[in-house]
Amino acid sequence: MLARLRVFFRFQESGLLLVILALGVLLTLFAGKVRTPVFERAADGTRSRVFTTDANGERIPLTVEKNKFLNAQNLAQLAKDTSFIAVMAVGMAVVIIAGGIDLTVGAIYALASVVGALVLHRYGAEGLATTSSPLLGILLGAGACLGVACLCGLFTGGLIVTLGVHPFIITLGGMAIFRGIAFVITKGQSVGAFPAAFRDFVRFEVGDGLSFVPLMTMLVVLIVGWIFLSRLAAGRRVYAVGGNELAARFSGIRVERVKLGVYLISGLCAGIAALLSLGYYGAATSGDGQGYELNVIAAAVVGGASLTGGRGSALGVVLGALIIQMISSGIVILGIDQNYSQIIIGSVVIAAVVLDHLNTWLARRRLTATAH
Amino acid sequence: MSAYLEFRKITKRFPGVLALDEVSFTVERGTCHALIGENGAGKSTLGKILAGVYTADSGQILLEGRAIAPASPLAARELGVAMVHQELAFCPNLSVAENLCLGDLPRRAGFLDRAALRARARTMLATVGADLDPDTLIGTLSTGREQLVQIAAAVGTGAQIIVMDEPTSSLSAAETAELFRLIRTLKARGLTLIYVSHRMEELFALCDHITVLRDGRHIATEPIPTTQPTRVVSQMIGRELRAHTPAHLARELGPVRLDVKNLSSAGAFNEINLNVRAGEIVGIAGIVGAGRSELVQAIFGLDPAVSGHIWVDDQPLALGSIEHALTAGLGLVPEDRKRQGLILGLNCRENTALAALPLLTRLGFVRRKAERALASKYAQRLRVKTPSLEALTAGLSGGNQQKIALAKWLARDCDVLLIDEPTRGVDVGAKAEIYQLLDELACEGKALLVVSSELPELIGLCRRIIVLRAGHIAGEVPRAAFSEATLMQLMAGVPAAA
Repeated sequence: MLARLRVFFRFQESGLLLVILALGVLLTLFAGKVRTPVFERAADGTRSRVFTTDANGERIPLTVEKNKFLNAQNLAQLAKDTSFIAVMAVGMAVVIIAGGIDLTVGAIYALASVVGALVLHRYGAEGLATTSSPLLGILLGAGACLGVACLCGLFTGGLIVTLGVHPFIITLGGMAIFRGIAFVITKGQSVGAFPAAFRDFVRFEVGDGLSFVPLMTMLVVLIVGWIFLSRLAAGRRVYAVGGNELAARFSGIRVERVKLGVYLISGLCAGIAALLSLGYYGAATSGDGQGYELNVIAAAVVGGASLTGGRGSALGVVLGALIIQMISSGIVILGIDQNYSQIIIGSVVIAAVVLDHLNTWLARRRLTATAH
Repeated sequence: MSAYLEFRKITKRFPGVLALDEVSFTVERGTCHALIGENGAGKSTLGKILAGVYTADSGQILLEGRAIAPASPLAARELGVAMVHQELAFCPNLSVAENLCLGDLPRRAGFLDRAALRARARTMLATVGADLDPDTLIGTLSTGREQLVQIAAAVGTGAQIIVMDEPTSSLSAAETAELFRLIRTLKARGLTLIYVSHRMEELFALCDHITVLRDGRHIATEPIPTTQPTRVVSQMIGRELRAHTPAHLARELGPVRLDVKNLSSAGAFNEINLNVRAGEIVGIAGIVGAGRSELVQAIFGLDPAVSGHIWVDDQPLALGSIEHALTAGLGLVPEDRKRQGLILGLNCRENTALAALPLLTRLGFVRRKAERALASKYAQRLRVKTPSLEALTAGLSGGNQQKIALAKWLARDCDVLLIDEPTRGVDVGAKAEIYQLLDELACEGKALLVVSSELPELIGLCRRIIVLRAGHIAGEVPRAAFSEATLMQLMAGVPAAA
């Protein structure tokens, strides 16, 4: 039993699980109660309130008392919100493990959203191509959204490789360029009115309001990311380049190709998140995903991806995304002023880095102690 | 009377190595005290502990009977101890004056006082007799000049003890003479110098006492007049050099595997012609800067600007491309394993499999079983001492890291191995094992081109040695004519002594 526990604690992810558990318990304890109306689902799938009569015989909606944090609706909301960040964080983890950084994710998310939205709009109720099949429109819209995201990733990756400039600068510029393009092509207007089938698909719910599609997408991205990083030769090369670029080059690894690849992956992940948001919210503007790079980098760093490169895992960053989202929603639930959320998330990132340094230092001491 | 400076049982451990093991000896005031030892003997470590770069794990340093424990170079400076480094001591983008006063820039009303800055720098430079413009950027100075500025900084801030780590390793003959003159002046002024080097002639010309370290242990401290170079050498080596003849020399040579014709790269080497046959170990000797590493890296395709021709097993090799070099069966064990050879954040298995990855992949997936088998095969063959194949290479000793760096290319089954400094910073036991391995590889019919700055190593291993000087082949010496003197003369460009 003890041995099994020890094996459990050897994984960095186990520490993250403990943090999530602790956060969950704390939020449950301090969240307080809320009265929510009770709904019932009719045979045709529509939801309606359940009414009862009070002492005076008046008809009032039936409510139940629930824990503000620990209730099915809130958890479903948390799962959905986490999915968006987590999908992007997996892509960010790949970039960070390769020793890079990608500040463009929020801007790619916005640009891919609006391009996808413009295509979907054509096939929607107010569009010009209403006569053609909605499925064609959905496929074209999704393709445009993901394609643009991949192109953006290739663009930044290509510049980083050919110019040999630090990725921070290139992606900082890319961030402004992509969001600028999104603004120009939409003239700052919100684009909506998509084929209804698309929205219905993404918003498909199981149980008590749990959005099935974003959650599943996150799981698929997590599994694919995990396989890529831990089982594929390409993933091994990502760790090698991030761990020591020169040694990787001396071992015959095509470093440029690896770098190009990781920004492509990050772009694609931002595109997937954008596609989910299109379906979920049913509209897009150039202002979408503002500041997402902070949350996504925070998720990756909290999840154990080392900014010096060479270290991190897909599961870790997904758990990191969950922690970040729990903190964000905790701020709402505990009734803390929303304006503090940025301050708190920023502090969490710094704390995570400090802990990581402490951990590295301890590991080095252990190494020295056991060397002889 | 207690000694001026005393080391008492100084012990220092690095991950995987015991660098210093209870080293004790004393240094007299106003002398130049030599620290000598083979690579990895611990001489630089000891100097760095005195200068506050490292802290000792245990033991004491006594300065005039008082225990000192400098926790940083700055703390050591305040105690009057300064170190002259080989490189990177200054900010290359700032001027001589700014660098000299960096710790305490003269200010007037909060603004930098440029006139005072220059005046102070001039005074400091004058103490070492350096005729330099204080406004020159450090980055534009030669190594010798920069060293002079370092010494000026040390003396000018009141240092009483100066530690010099291999000060002449990249100096010209004229600069070396200048440095020696300066050291004698400083000594006459009562300063104490700790001179870390492994150049015997220099020490005997310059120093008063000599301390020999071997494998982190103190072997002897003697006044120069009572000892001789031969005695010091045997103290350094601590064993009779075995006259062991490698087995590959007795074998028939195979066909030419690596053939290099007219290989040139601007600023590095020029018109290099050499070949290595199957079953042969060919050595490359030369002083630092002769173009040794540049040459093997260019053969491996790391130099895009190279011109000439290379054939591997009679097939022409496209230059400047690692991929083609790999396909042709070339492998390079680079000189700096931590920077170029290994990925320290990855474990032994992953490092061993790194170059062989394309051979271990099916549909993009790494075949984990095959990978483990391969890694464990070479870990056993090279006798790598590691707790497990999953242990990070960062925690291994220098010798075991070097074995992993070699295993990486054996795992890919290269036919032509270019090995740059096969045993730098490797302990004695692992050295012998690596020599044994290289011998076995030659016996298997591989072609080995070995670069080394340790002549005994090349003399022990090779069938012939090619000497490089300033980017040219200065000569080729067959095994029958091997001697350190012959090689040194070719390396330094000195005509054979009459």
